[in-house]
Amino acid sequence: MIALSGLPPVVQVFLYGMITALATGLGAIPFAFVRSVSPRVMAYANAVASGLMLGASFGLLAEGAQFGRWQTIIGANLGVLFVLFLQKALADHEIEFGRATGAGARQMLMIVLVMTVHSIAEGVAIGSAFAGGMTLAFVITAAIAVHNIPEGLAISAVLRPRGTSVASCAGWSVFSSLPQPLMAVPAYLFVEAFAPSLPYGIGFAAGAMVFMVLVELLPEAYDRGHRPVTALIVSVTAVAMVLFQQYL
Amino acid sequence: MEPILVVLVFSGLAAVAAPLGVLPLRRRAIPPLAWIGWANALAAGFMFGAAFVIAEAALGHDPAWVAFGAILGIGLVFGTHYVSGTAELDLNQLADSGPVYGYQVLIVSGLHGAAEGVAIGVAMLESLPFGILVALAMAAHNVPEATVLGAVLRGTGLRLSHAAALSVATNIGQVLLAIVTFAVVPSIPGLYPLALGFAIGALVYLAMSELLPQAYEQAGKVSIALVTSVAMGFVVIIHGFVG
Repeated sequence: MIALSGLPPVVQVFLYGMITALATGLGAIPFAFVRSVSPRVMAYANAVASGLMLGASFGLLAEGAQFGRWQTIIGANLGVLFVLFLQKALADHEIEFGRATGAGARQMLMIVLVMTVHSIAEGVAIGSAFAGGMTLAFVITAAIAVHNIPEGLAISAVLRPRGTSVASCAGWSVFSSLPQPLMAVPAYLFVEAFAPSLPYGIGFAAGAMVFMVLVELLPEAYDRGHRPVTALIVSVTAVAMVLFQQYL
Repeated sequence: MEPILVVLVFSGLAAVAAPLGVLPLRRRAIPPLAWIGWANALAAGFMFGAAFVIAEAALGHDPAWVAFGAILGIGLVFGTHYVSGTAELDLNQLADSGPVYGYQVLIVSGLHGAAEGVAIGVAMLESLPFGILVALAMAAHNVPEATVLGAVLRGTGLRLSHAAALSVATNIGQVLLAIVTFAVVPSIPGLYPLALGFAIGALVYLAMSELLPQAYEQAGKVSIALVTSVAMGFVVIIHGFVG
C-alpha cells in the first residue's frame, strides 16, 4: 500500500480499485468446504445469497437517499426493469454456463450480470471518494475490499451448488467487481460530471439486486428448502450484512 | 389529539379494517387463488417497506443493540411458530379444512397482529405521521389477511359474521401492543433501539416465512416480485412525503 503512494494519483486509484476487486474473490473460499449439492443445500445457499443481497441493498439505498431520495427511487425502478429485461431476453435462448444448462445456467448468468452491473455504481463511488483526497485512500480501499467479500460469497452461493469449481467462483466474483477499478478512474478524473449520476446508479444497483432476489432466488429457495429455515437464513443473513456494513 | 390517543385510534383503525376482507366472501365464492397471492405479496411489500423505513430510523442508534433486537424479533416469531406447530402451515387450503386447521390459522393471525403492533408503536415513537403511515400500511395488510382467514374459517363451517368478528379479534393484540410499546418503551432508557430492531426483525421474518412463500405458490413469481417491490417502494415514497 505504502509503495503505491509514489505513483501518479490516477494509477493509484486504478490499483486501489483492483485490490478491492480481487478481495471479492475471497468470498468463494467458504465454498471450498461445501461438497454435497443436494437440492436443500442449493436452497439454503440461495437463501444466504438473498440475505446478503437484501442487506447490501439496504446499505446502498440508505446511502443513496443522502445524495437524493427521488433520484435513488428512479434508479431503483430502472434496476427492476433491467432484471425484467434480462429475464425476458435470456428466456428465449439456450444458455450454457460452465457445465450447467437451462434454468440453472440462466440464474448463474443473471447473478453474474446483476452483480457486475451493480459494481459500476460502486466504482463511481470509489472514484468520487478518492477525489476528496488521497489521504484516506487506505481506509476507503480497506473498507470497500472487506465489503466486497460477502458479495463474492453471494455469487459463489449461486454458482458453486450448480457445479462451478471454487477457482471459477473466485474468478467470476473478481470479474463482477472489475467495473470498480474501471469506473473509479473516470469518476476520479471527472468527479463533477459523475457525481450527479451517483444516486441513480446506487438506486439502480439496489433495485436490480432486490428484484433478482424476489424473482429468481427466493422462489427457488422456498421450493426446495424448509420454509422456516429458509426464512430464518434470509433474515439473519440480512441483519448480519447490515451490521457488518455499519461497522465499516 | 393526545399522542397516545393517536396510537389508539390508528392501531384500532387497522384492526377494524379487517372485516372488509371478509366482505367479498358473501357470495359464497372463494376469490381466485392468484388474487390471494397478490394480496399476500402486497402485504409482504408493505411489511418490507415499513421495515426499511424503521431501519433507516434505526441508523442513528447503536447498531449492536438494533441488531440484537432484530435477532430477538426473528427468534420470537420463529419460536412461536415452532411451539404452536404452525411453522410450515399451508394457508392455501381454502376447501376441505377441519377445525384444527381453523384454530391454527387463528393462532398465526394473532401472532401476526402482535408483531405488527410493536411495529406501529415503534413507528409512532419515531414520529406520529410516520406511525400513522405504518398503521395504515398494516390496515391495508389486514384486509387481505382477513380474506384468507375468512375463506379458511368458512371452510370449517363457520358463519361469515363470526369469521368477521374473529378477524377483528385476532388484531386486538395489535392495538394493545401498539399502545404498550408507545407508552412503555420511552420510560426505559436503552430500550428504544432494541424495540426498533425487534420491529424490523419481526416484520422481515413474518413476510419471509409466511406471506412470500405462500404468494409464490398462489401466483406467478414475476407478478409476485413486481407487486412486492411496488408495495415496498410505495411505503418508502409516502414516507418521503410525510417525513
